[in-house]
Amino acid sequence: MPWYLYLALKQLFPTGRRFPFFTAISVLGVALGVAVLIISSSVMGGFGHKIREMTVDTQGDVQVRGDGLIADPAALQVQLMKIPGVVATTPFAEGPVAVIYQLKPQFPGLQGIDPNRIGNVIPLNRYITGGSLAALDDDSIILGSQLAIALGARLGDKVEVYSPLAFEKLRMSKGDEVFLPRELRVVGYFEFGHQALDGSVALVPLRAMQDLYGLGRAVHGINIKITHGLDADVMAERINAALPSPQHLRARSWIEINQDFLFVLQFERNMMFFLLMFIVVVAAFSVTSSLLIAVVRKTREIGLLGALGAKPRQVAACFCFQGFFIGVAGTLVGLGLGFGVLGVRDNIIEIFARITQSKAALLRFYQFSHLPSYTEPSYLVATIIGTIGISTLAGLLPAWRAAKLKPVEALRSE
Amino acid sequence: MSDAILSGRGLAKAYLSGDRRIEVLRGVDLEILPGESVSIRGESGSGKSTLLNLLSGLDTADSGELAWAGAPAHGDARARFLGMVFQSFYLIPEIDAFANVLMAARMLGAPGAVERARAKDLLARVGLAERATHLPSQLSGGERQRVAVARALLNSPRLLLADEPTGNLDEHTGDAVIELLLSLCRETGTALALVTHNVAHAKKTSRQLFLHEGKLSHG
Repeated sequence: MPWYLYLALKQLFPTGRRFPFFTAISVLGVALGVAVLIISSSVMGGFGHKIREMTVDTQGDVQVRGDGLIADPAALQVQLMKIPGVVATTPFAEGPVAVIYQLKPQFPGLQGIDPNRIGNVIPLNRYITGGSLAALDDDSIILGSQLAIALGARLGDKVEVYSPLAFEKLRMSKGDEVFLPRELRVVGYFEFGHQALDGSVALVPLRAMQDLYGLGRAVHGINIKITHGLDADVMAERINAALPSPQHLRARSWIEINQDFLFVLQFERNMMFFLLMFIVVVAAFSVTSSLLIAVVRKTREIGLLGALGAKPRQVAACFCFQGFFIGVAGTLVGLGLGFGVLGVRDNIIEIFARITQSKAALLRFYQFSHLPSYTEPSYLVATIIGTIGISTLAGLLPAWRAAKLKPVEALRSE
Repeated sequence: MSDAILSGRGLAKAYLSGDRRIEVLRGVDLEILPGESVSIRGESGSGKSTLLNLLSGLDTADSGELAWAGAPAHGDARARFLGMVFQSFYLIPEIDAFANVLMAARMLGAPGAVERARAKDLLARVGLAERATHLPSQLSGGERQRVAVARALLNSPRLLLADEPTGNLDEHTGDAVIELLLSLCRETGTALALVTHNVAHAKKTSRQLFLHEGKLSHG
């Protein structure tokens, strides 16, 4: 081992000292920064991952829509199924309606789905929290959990549904003509864990939706499931190339459909990562400060090293390596600490919720009882490289000062 | 060509103190032969340490020539050619006595079994075989200086420069260190240049020089 590495290690871990205080404090400072970075980026990543998963689970991987209605969805589905990479398709129709139960109105978006085929594209059953998807027929409805609460409707209750077409009929009705709304029985609830969906979406069979909107056999779009592992954007391009152009159809991946939202998520995460990186920078400054003090304290020793034949760049390497070592050790300890905390994150949330009596609020506003976590490899690599890089840079200033010392002046210093 | 292990010709050094130019050395000529021991005495501020710094190549002369073993002195050769002992010992506090001695060999590359054995032997010869694993803070002043002497001799230098090595020691310990230095240099055939205030110590060397007003004379 070169003498400057040997001496750097000895200065970090002096012989005969059980607890190297300076080293421990420096490593701990860096480790805390790394741990906070890992925890925050993983939790943010977990939220993002969960939201992406939920988006795909509600929309499919790719969605085909036209300028207007798709008149013959069955024929289009046959065409789509011929494209390599397309696993399953399901049609849908959608639009706003008024749902009234016991004079309480709500105005959700109504989704017409094919109960027999939707499971091939969207794992809807996973999100049914009451009743069942199998019970959905032309005279029934499945409500979002929050929507059901807002209406006060329970399983078996009948709700009245008014579509824009119904309002139009109501407006056009004359004399003693009586217009009756569509009555649908509640046969289930779903909960995606997202306020916007659970509070303002209801599901009916596609035929019922077509009746309510007067669509005939037409639909608004087709949701598509692609082979696992294929890139959704690439598949959307492939589908677009295969679609018949006169129908003005266009396939869009779930990424493209939600690009604004995904951009916000990514931006938020990047900003948080950037800001939290300053913890590491602050820790690095403390390393710089400690090493600078060491350089001043060891001025005469540095002079001696020069007298023994040390070159300035070797003296610099000695102090630079200390910064590097603190960075590596701090990163390893920080990773252990960060992943350790992530491992018991639910227990921490549980204790926090118990102390603050806020479990209900957490569930209501953040829609989680289990804190999601997903560590994206790119963030992990950026944390490791960034921390070690910053810590090594922290050793540069003291190293430069040490290298600048002339042995003869250093030996003479008081 | 001279047989001198060290040859200095017309070495001059001046410092600026404010507007004043202080000429510390005014053309010093010095030759040290292999195995010879030379003492350099002088009043405080006479430039003894400055001369030693020039001879060791740690500082550069304003004018004059310096040669080590017939070749122009160069910093890169210092670690092999020279050993140095200082008044303040300058041991590295984080490592034990043995590691401090071995540090001189580390500067030249990874120390092997030969260097380790030599370090052990030198520690035994300076009477510190039992104190090899002690940290500098656990050693007395005399013991620290003996460790420094062992370190200076580890690379088998051809010349040992000692700058007031007894300055921080009591008389008895100082005498012992000088005896040790002289005997080790004799045994190993290492030339010695000893800067000292102590007349008795100076007289133990084979040649005594006196530095006065920037010039060396026989003392």
